[in-house]
Amino acid sequence: MPTATAAAQTRAPALLAEGISKAFMSGHQRTQVLDGLTLSLDAGELTLISGPSGCGKSTLLAILSGLQKVDSGRVRALGSELGQLDLRALERFRLQHTGFVFQGFNLFPALSAFEQVELPLNHMGLSRNEARRRAQQSLEEVGLAHRMRLRPSELSGGEKQRVAIARALAKEPELLFADEPTSALDAANGQMIIDILHRIARTHGTTVLCVSHDPRLVVHADRVLAMEDGRILSDQRPPTPAAQDNGIPS
Amino acid sequence: MVALARKTLIYEWRRFLPAMLAVGFAGLLQLLQIALVLGIFGSTSLYITGSSADVWIGYPGTQSVGSGRNIDADVESRILMDPAIQRVEPYIWVDGDWRGPRDTGGVSVFVSGIDTSPDGLMFSKALPANLRARLAEPDAVVVDRSVLDQLGVGIGQTATINGHQVRVVGISSGLRALGGVNVLCSLDTARQLDEDPADSGPTYLVAKLHDPSQADAVAIRLRGGTAFGPYTTWSAKDFAKISVRYWLFDTGAGAGVLFLAGIVFLVGAVITSQTLIAAVNGSVREYATLNALGVGVGALRKVVLEQAFWVGALGLLGAGLLGIVLMMLARSQDVPVVLTVPAAVACILLVMGLAAVSGLAAMRALRRADPATLLR
Ligand SMILES: Nc1ncnc2c1ncn2[C@@H]1O[C@H](COP(=O)(O)OP(=O)(O)O)[C@@H](O)[C@H]1O
Ligand SMILES: [Mg+2]
Repeated sequence: MPTATAAAQTRAPALLAEGISKAFMSGHQRTQVLDGLTLSLDAGELTLISGPSGCGKSTLLAILSGLQKVDSGRVRALGSELGQLDLRALERFRLQHTGFVFQGFNLFPALSAFEQVELPLNHMGLSRNEARRRAQQSLEEVGLAHRMRLRPSELSGGEKQRVAIARALAKEPELLFADEPTSALDAANGQMIIDILHRIARTHGTTVLCVSHDPRLVVHADRVLAMEDGRILSDQRPPTPAAQDNGIPS
Repeated sequence: MVALARKTLIYEWRRFLPAMLAVGFAGLLQLLQIALVLGIFGSTSLYITGSSADVWIGYPGTQSVGSGRNIDADVESRILMDPAIQRVEPYIWVDGDWRGPRDTGGVSVFVSGIDTSPDGLMFSKALPANLRARLAEPDAVVVDRSVLDQLGVGIGQTATINGHQVRVVGISSGLRALGGVNVLCSLDTARQLDEDPADSGPTYLVAKLHDPSQADAVAIRLRGGTAFGPYTTWSAKDFAKISVRYWLFDTGAGAGVLFLAGIVFLVGAVITSQTLIAAVNGSVREYATLNALGVGVGALRKVVLEQAFWVGALGLLGAGLLGIVLMMLARSQDVPVVLTVPAAVACILLVMGLAAVSGLAAMRALRRADPATLLR
């Protein structure tokens, strides 16, 4: 969808972080995890943040998605200043605008794939029919139309992660965050997951931010931010077929 | 709406089973305890509830039916002067020492001397008409089926009460007493059994009104005259209450019941809340994921509370079914068990309160469902 991408690039960035810092205290030891980091993300792209374990990727994701507060700096998501929202408002913001995919699939053992996807939609004020339509559609989109009635115990790891993606996707979020979504999966399944995330960015115009230490995912991203010790070292758009498909000049 | 609470409860029923058992046993224990106490202490007001008198006249300050003192026989004429009164009859209570034909030692008995006429008020609801008629025979007594062994007699046999010979002419049921054995006889026989020469008048006078609903008003109206020596009046309902309350509280039984109820509640709540907390902890990452997706903490709390509600309801159902079976078993063995609607409601409230308290405790475990912890 070249037109969508072009339009997104002229608009304000979907996600903007300016000079964010974050430190954790463990005992008397203070660890500076993020140090004055600035970053802006555009809609309709899959951005991958890669870097060694412990460099602060997950912390950055938590801050950009409003799950954690910054020590200093500010985060602007879809025009909202996240630092100024209280707990309730943040919940409402996440409900309306964000989706999450985690390393663990975090599916309720008692619910079928379809119910896992439908459950959050129930809380969005959608009609029962609309919730079901969306659940059906997202499960079809991740290729699980035939497995909707199965519980997590009857699904493979890759399928479980696809259910988790469908659960996030069905909310039709503008922002989709994924933290190490492939690290519990084998190469083939990991490949499939990153492809689905990439497709979501392109076809839905979603801002997808994926964090991973897995270097194999780099070629599937529109943009790759390499991170180390709480800073971004490089910002690249790899000359991959995926990126060229999007019509982005490299 | 996806019924997360219920589906989890069904799918992971093993995990919730301890809570349901704890709630169920707590409910069952309360139910049986209350039924037993009501059954046992209810028998202390049998003299009142088993009779059709509307107003009782006795010695002032009497705390239970069994602890009455004689009043002047002439009080009867005073009572009869009131236009609301339809019928008055004396009731004589004598504490006796029973010696049976078999070796039983002395047995403490409560002798009730009653009017044996067919329209007599005392024990009109507990004593069949044919047995009442037979009591008119001199020295005839009727005892309860459940105490035959204790008294060492059978029907037609003789025994002595306070050294005076009596003959068992009939066996009734539902006449069990607390702390002794009820023996029914005629007023004349009772007078013969009374060893105390100072006792002249009856222990009580019982009266039937033209309009039973006036019992309270008439009882108040009849009170206070002193021309015939001291006496006071109660409506039958009040006197029954006084009698049961005396046994419940002045004997310490009531405190025991409340104490046990408290213990049962505490133990039940601890087990139930621990089980629910474990269930929340087991799903804490899923709850945190829902919260990350924007499902509010309030909605998650509702899920936990709903689980607590179902645990309570299912436990209660189990306790109810088992309780009914046990109560029927108890009845068949002549164990006095009585369950009233207020007592059943109290049980239900206690059990659901237990579940609610446990649910509230488990809700605190949701604090650990912080979505930031999912990002590591
Ligand atoms: N809640 C926390 N309390 C203390 N230290 C933390 C906390 N979260 C993260 N850290 C520390 O911050 C650093 C970065 O963590 P993280 O962002 O999870 O790294 P990554 O996802 O890149 O592996 C690590 O050294 C980690 O130990
Ligand atoms: Mg991480």
